[in-house]
Amino acid sequence: MNKHDVKSLSSMPLQSPTYPRGPFKFFDRQYMIIRYKTDPVAIRALLPEPLEPDGDVVAVQWLDLPDGEGFGAYGAAAQTIPCTYKGEHCVFISQMIVDNCPPLAGGREIWGYPMKHGKPLLHVTGDTLSGQLDYAGQRIANGTMVYKHDAFDHGNIAHAEEILNRTQVTLKLIPDIDGRPAIAQLVAVKFTNIHVKGAWNGKARLELIPSVNAPFADLPVHHVVGGQQFVTDMTLPYGRVLHDYLVG
Amino acid sequence: MKVEDILKLPSMPAASPSYPMGPYRFVNREYMIITYETDKDLLRAAVPEPLVPNEDGHVLYEWIRMPDSSGFGDYTESGVVIPCTYKGEPINFTAQMYLDDEPPISAGREIWGFPKKYAHPKLEVASDTLTGTLHYAGQMVAMGTMAYKHQESPGGIEAAAKGMTKTQCNLKIIPDVDGSPKICQLVAYNLTDITIKGTWVSPARLHLIPHVNAPAADLPVKRIVGGKHFIGDLTLPHGRVLFDYLKEA
Repeated sequence: MNKHDVKSLSSMPLQSPTYPRGPFKFFDRQYMIIRYKTDPVAIRALLPEPLEPDGDVVAVQWLDLPDGEGFGAYGAAAQTIPCTYKGEHCVFISQMIVDNCPPLAGGREIWGYPMKHGKPLLHVTGDTLSGQLDYAGQRIANGTMVYKHDAFDHGNIAHAEEILNRTQVTLKLIPDIDGRPAIAQLVAVKFTNIHVKGAWNGKARLELIPSVNAPFADLPVHHVVGGQQFVTDMTLPYGRVLHDYLVG
Repeated sequence: MKVEDILKLPSMPAASPSYPMGPYRFVNREYMIITYETDKDLLRAAVPEPLVPNEDGHVLYEWIRMPDSSGFGDYTESGVVIPCTYKGEPINFTAQMYLDDEPPISAGREIWGFPKKYAHPKLEVASDTLTGTLHYAGQMVAMGTMAYKHQESPGGIEAAAKGMTKTQCNLKIIPDVDGSPKICQLVAYNLTDITIKGTWVSPARLHLIPHVNAPAADLPVKRIVGGKHFIGDLTLPHGRVLFDYLKEA
């Protein structure tokens, strides 16, 4: 392959790039978001400066992504921390677990989504919307939510759109070949073309189990605030650098 | 989390880095390498300039069992390596790699640019046969077999250890957050502290099945050259930039 073509590759490996160019459109993306109160000291320790904590209610979310352009069908789970950057309300993505390599590699390498490989599962069983998360063969999170109890609350869609429109922030770290940091940035991501097809609120429960390599339980559950279920189409575009730790 | 602590993190996520700082020590790493001859025009297309593929059209198809790897754990890898030259010096180019463990996938891609994807490789002894298989997205894409320890390798463990010091390289591509290339380099490294505990050559066969996302079969098997099986300890250190496409191309 000639040098010019090498520069236009979207990703490694040369013979079959792991992910194509963005943006990436998702169809029928389903969320279960369980919000809970936790320890503010633990939040401060996890949130990178110059982000500031925005309350003590964090979330664990499960996602079912049956149709993601360039990525395929997969599941994900994440721990998110509300924060502010220069006064703007944002959401910091602290940890993510997925079961599919292209979004894992693309997520880390393009935007700095802090993804590891595990087994997240979001499903409806009987009357319960249920999320499980396994890492290295062990259960580390278990979430349950009532199924569409407030089906006639028309304010839910607008509320879901407001939540999904919030800027996501990630800490992108890529080492150089000598082990020193090549990239150390806060990255901002804002989804576009958000079309919420359904949104529900309801009671939820959440259990987090301590595990060293997927330490969701480091933000302990003090009190569950509630659950949200969304179904949406949306587009993941490229992001922008919010803060560069290697400059200035 | 304070800025000085952020800059000391070895990797994402900050809450629990995927991999620690290198170097990385591997104990009892077991290799099966099947060398075969392929189509020279296809080989040229699979190798990035300024690397030059070997004139014999040889490809190494590998399985590696790594039961004890510092920072990474216990996993298995399989992939395609192409012997090349860079400015006349021999160098091995890693073209494709498939493994079943996330930290070495992330560290491999992000530090050295190993072209790694998640899949299910297996290397095992099945009665009289050293057997390697690779499944990608639920389908078999490679099956290699080698007779079990028929003959010690010529030159024994000393020659095998010397062979392992050969310079190896990858094409490292990391995009910027706007999609433009941020890192696009040929990266080189040399394994260190190598102890080979046993090395054998035996007859081998290799079957590659076409698959779009794991296209080992894009370099078809025309003739098997031979199989090599060895076990050893080694250290994978950081590396160096050989060629920077964003500055030099």
